[in-house]
Amino acid sequence: MHAIQQQYWSVREYLSPVLKESKFKEHGRITPEEFVAAGDFLTYKFGVWTWEKGDPSKLKDYLPADKQYLLTRGVPCLRRATSLAYTDADEDAERLLSFGDSTGADEWVETHAGRKSNMDAANPGQIDDIPDLDGPADDALAQGVGALALGADAAAETPDLDDIPDMEEDGLEEGEDEATAAPKATPGVIDASQVEVANGNLLQVRTYDVMITYDKYYQTPRIWLIGYDENRTPLTPPQIFQDISADHALKTVTIEAFPHSASLQAASVHPCKHASVMKKVIERMNTSVVEEQLAQRKSPSASASSKDKKKWFGRKVSGAGKDDKGKEDKGEEEEVEGMRVDFYLVVFLKFIASIVPTIEVDSTASF
Amino acid sequence: MPIVQFAPFASLVQPAFWHELTSLKIDVLRLSDEALPITGYYTLGRSITDRETGSEIVLGCNLSVGPESFHKSSQPPSGAFPAKGHFKNFNTIEDFKAADKTALFNQETERMWESIVTTRDTSSLNSFILITYADLKKYKYYYWFAFPSFVAKPAWEIDELGWKLANEDLSHDSACFLLTSIHAQLRATPLPFFLVRAGVEIAPIESYASFFANVPPAEQTIGFVDPSASPTNPGWPLRNLLAYMRAIYPATTGELRILCWRDADVPAALAGWKSRVGIVHTAPPADAAAAVARPSAVGWEKTPQGKLAPRVADLAPMMDPVRLANQAV
Repeated sequence: MHAIQQQYWSVREYLSPVLKESKFKEHGRITPEEFVAAGDFLTYKFGVWTWEKGDPSKLKDYLPADKQYLLTRGVPCLRRATSLAYTDADEDAERLLSFGDSTGADEWVETHAGRKSNMDAANPGQIDDIPDLDGPADDALAQGVGALALGADAAAETPDLDDIPDMEEDGLEEGEDEATAAPKATPGVIDASQVEVANGNLLQVRTYDVMITYDKYYQTPRIWLIGYDENRTPLTPPQIFQDISADHALKTVTIEAFPHSASLQAASVHPCKHASVMKKVIERMNTSVVEEQLAQRKSPSASASSKDKKKWFGRKVSGAGKDDKGKEDKGEEEEVEGMRVDFYLVVFLKFIASIVPTIEVDSTASF
Repeated sequence: MPIVQFAPFASLVQPAFWHELTSLKIDVLRLSDEALPITGYYTLGRSITDRETGSEIVLGCNLSVGPESFHKSSQPPSGAFPAKGHFKNFNTIEDFKAADKTALFNQETERMWESIVTTRDTSSLNSFILITYADLKKYKYYYWFAFPSFVAKPAWEIDELGWKLANEDLSHDSACFLLTSIHAQLRATPLPFFLVRAGVEIAPIESYASFFANVPPAEQTIGFVDPSASPTNPGWPLRNLLAYMRAIYPATTGELRILCWRDADVPAALAGWKSRVGIVHTAPPADAAAAVARPSAVGWEKTPQGKLAPRVADLAPMMDPVRLANQAV
């Protein structure tokens, strides 16, 4: 069933026309050219992102051959998203966040700011398999119970070295090597006592490889995740779902074939709602950017710092080698243009960060 | 003085590597278990600030292999440094278990030592071994990495100051200038190991004798790209680099100033630099014969339980069509 569905999706994507004219402000969708421009900006500004070629047999001809998708490796994920489940008690703990703009016009509310992790060994926050909808109700219940039991087993599912009996080799190296740093209980945690206890007594630092592809049918970027646990073993789908906020884990995130590889499977956020969400976010940001640009024109002697900010939104990527100076000057003279499409992926990552709150995909927060 | 402890490499195998191995095994290797050349790569050590507690969390000291590792001519990803290795895939689990790992390991260390002593080439200092057995029907991959590293006798020691942040080690202006300048030069010509002298010039390790000819020892610095971000442990590559220096220049390397290069980007503030500097010492070996012989080496990767044993990657949840179908909603 799933295979047929995937086949259908790929045919549908193949048949759907390539978006030609820019629609990013109206619909939140972008053209492949705009995807490349936004990707150039992202890779230029944030070195952790790189363009990848992907499998040559899976080349998408509407994108440049060497810019098929964006990739960043080893994105850390310190906690499980399930540990962020909200409770009423900290409803009031709100904090205003301001992104890149000193006027305070565009503030975001971070709710539950001071909230502590509610996850402990007793509540590992396993997301269980979804019971089938078809079939009698008690059947579904039984399945749910079965899934719970499976959930308890999931810990043991991590590779079991008993599979290879007698493989430990004692004679391989003589004695302890004094110059090898002792493996820490938690890889890389400087001071385990200061760090919150996430599960048992270990902080599970997972890492993710994150890919952004262009989805031709939905005309939006699409995000893909491949995860590793703290021992660098690939994560299973239920484990990946632990890092996706509960609102999305069972609905919009699925494991699918990665479009730029012949065989790879990755978790992906389904892009059907991306365009409308992006439109809302862009509208909000655009209003504030336009306001700022208007203010800028009225008072050319605006403070240097706000001029910097303005440039941030208005500038074309200088890495792309376009006529960035000239364009900017013209822009100031002719009309206020609002947010540039180059900024699209930066905004997109902020939106994705709300779906996967504990994976630090949003390296852009520091701007 | 405390002994210098190095953070060992930790292998990171991308799932795509196993996919590539599967097709290689079926289409090309078939029943061959020849040793093949392979390329892994490592990047600068990274750490991340935990937003909730504000503490700095260090990410692992990883050496990763991906699908491109099998292709001889592949370029490492930007910002990554290649490590050459040898890869051997066994046909049965029995062969895998019975493999003469000591012989494989000795062969590799012999090769590394040869290249140090005869060609004085630093490119083989990060060599590694990977042995695998692929259970294709169950989507299980058994593997074991070794990152051979020569054991220094007597061990290297670091002075009381330990590994200081590079920007604290120097005066404000010079630190900023020095680090920014090294960053720019490394970006232009990436070198996994390099020499730094006053005036902020860098050069490959191979030119040690001529580059440091007229430089007082206090102004000589040896740098390396450090995959570890731990404040107290430099990364594994330094270990073989020190062995290399000891073997070729025994007279002048009793005390060395080491720069652990950890900055991928120029930070906004001076305090943001993460590179570290330390002065390491070693005493001359007890007898002269030991000085020229190949030192013993260590480096088989341990399991999370700290045992010397292979690891398993179980990709059934991500590869088995039946389980994928169950997963799909």
